[in-house]
Amino acid sequence: MRRNVLVGQLLFAVAFLGLWELASRMCWVDPADLPPVTIVVATLVDLLGNPKFLDECGVTLVRVLVAFAIGAPLAVSIGFLLGEKIHLGEIFNPVIHFILGVPQSIFLPVFILVFGIEFLQKVVFGITHILFVVIVNTVAAVHAVPKPLVLAARSFGASPLQIYLRIYLPAMLPIVVTGLRLGMIFNILGVILAEMYGARTGIGLLLFRWGEEYRTPELMAGIVLISVVTIMLNEIMRIWEHRLGRWQTAMDAR
Amino acid sequence: MNAIGAPVIEAKTVGKTYGVGRAPVRALDGVSFAVPEAAFVSLVGPSGCGKSTLLQIMGGLVPSTEGEVLIDRERVAKPMPGKIAIVFQDATLLPWKTARANVEFPLELQGIGAAERRRRSDDMLNLVGLGDFTERFPHELSGGMKQRVSIARGLAQEPRIILMDEPFGALDEQTRIKMGQELLRIWEATRKTIFLITHSLTEAIYLSDRVLVMSHRPGRIVETLTIDLPRPRTYDMIGGVEFGRARNRIWSLITADEAEGAVEP
Ligand SMILES: Nc1ncnc2c1ncn2[C@@H]1O[C@H](COP(=O)(O)OP(=O)(O)OP(=O)(O)O)[C@@H](O)[C@H]1O
Ligand SMILES: [Mg+2]
Repeated sequence: MRRNVLVGQLLFAVAFLGLWELASRMCWVDPADLPPVTIVVATLVDLLGNPKFLDECGVTLVRVLVAFAIGAPLAVSIGFLLGEKIHLGEIFNPVIHFILGVPQSIFLPVFILVFGIEFLQKVVFGITHILFVVIVNTVAAVHAVPKPLVLAARSFGASPLQIYLRIYLPAMLPIVVTGLRLGMIFNILGVILAEMYGARTGIGLLLFRWGEEYRTPELMAGIVLISVVTIMLNEIMRIWEHRLGRWQTAMDAR
Repeated sequence: MNAIGAPVIEAKTVGKTYGVGRAPVRALDGVSFAVPEAAFVSLVGPSGCGKSTLLQIMGGLVPSTEGEVLIDRERVAKPMPGKIAIVFQDATLLPWKTARANVEFPLELQGIGAAERRRRSDDMLNLVGLGDFTERFPHELSGGMKQRVSIARGLAQEPRIILMDEPFGALDEQTRIKMGQELLRIWEATRKTIFLITHSLTEAIYLSDRVLVMSHRPGRIVETLTIDLPRPRTYDMIGGVEFGRARNRIWSLITADEAEGAVEP
């Protein structure tokens, strides 16, 4: 059964890539718009051997990681407070839900005005993308901690710290990790978006230029690279999430 | 009658109102009773009358609105781990821990060493018939098995007082009787004070020295029955005259109470 699914998925991938190659080679689409997949892959291999390109990738990677390193703990802490302190939550949770509903890209010009177009602005834009989705998930995680378990732990003599570490933490972790995974996706989106509009470095800038200069093999190669990297990142975090939440999915299934 | 000592638990006009302000719920009203040292006392009453609330107040987990509970003449204000163990109505096992780890968790919090924890968890899980399920997670156990882990967790703490909230609710009749007999055996061997909430009149009478009967919400103690059946109790006593008289008495109290007020489905 599982093997059939795998074979099916593989066939689909081969068919998709084959169709792409064929469509371009047979000129069903303009090869200038969509170069054949073989050429895109060859271009990607070239790019990966090019130190200048790798430098640009490194710049983007550092921005993404710094934004995550600051944004994730910040958001988890805020989310924990808003979830645990009922009065704070009553005031701020609706505000955060409203903000989450606004597309943040519309604020990019403001960020450029305030923070310039260098490292700082990219990182701040990444952080704001992480913040709200992780806060909302962390608040939900706090609310999902089963209160009877807290009561039981208190009857066993658990201190408040022990309750946080031994009950809250394991109960919250699967939901928080889901939030962090989404936060990372939004973070990458934010940083690359900021690099496309007003930047001197970064892979977002390269993509934008290649588009302007109509260099579609490079453009497609960049898109494929970023897609593959983010999909892999996402999958790794999903496996982690699944491990942590095994007891939970099993419980929900009952 | 057993050698019954001075009161270890005393409830003095305990009252509880939930959600003061909008839509308050009066759960308990003027509840007073005493539980002597080493006694087995049961509490019966209609669903929603405030039994679990009373137990949580006795365990120091929720504050009462009026009155107080004294344990060893000391006012209960917070949990007393080591002295009092609680077996909760819904097993409340930590879903990310195995049966054994769940039984050992309170012991760990109470600073008991690994070897001793292991000994106790082995003993107690065997006692409740789960010796082959020590490494299973709660979601791999049936409702009744979870309840038994929860009972093992309560007993493993080797408390002087054990408060049990319908610990046998999810068990079949046969396992229920067997677990009741085990509990009696442990009680007779260790001279614990046991306070047990149950829906089963038979169980209450069969196990207890005293049965407290609670009215519908707001819960009050309408009568305290002393059960004078000899110990050790045997299963055939259930058919006896004295047993039947006690059961009829409780039944009439509960039904009279229902006729008078709200009947819970
Ligand atoms: N945390 C709470 N907040 C508000 N109301 C509560 C709370 N806990 C219990 N109640 C209410 O108090 C009343 C008594 O509840 P309790 O759980 O003590 O009843 P019970 O006698 O244990 O019932 P059962 O036999 O069904 O377990 C109920 O009406 C319930 O709705
Ligand atoms: Mg109850």
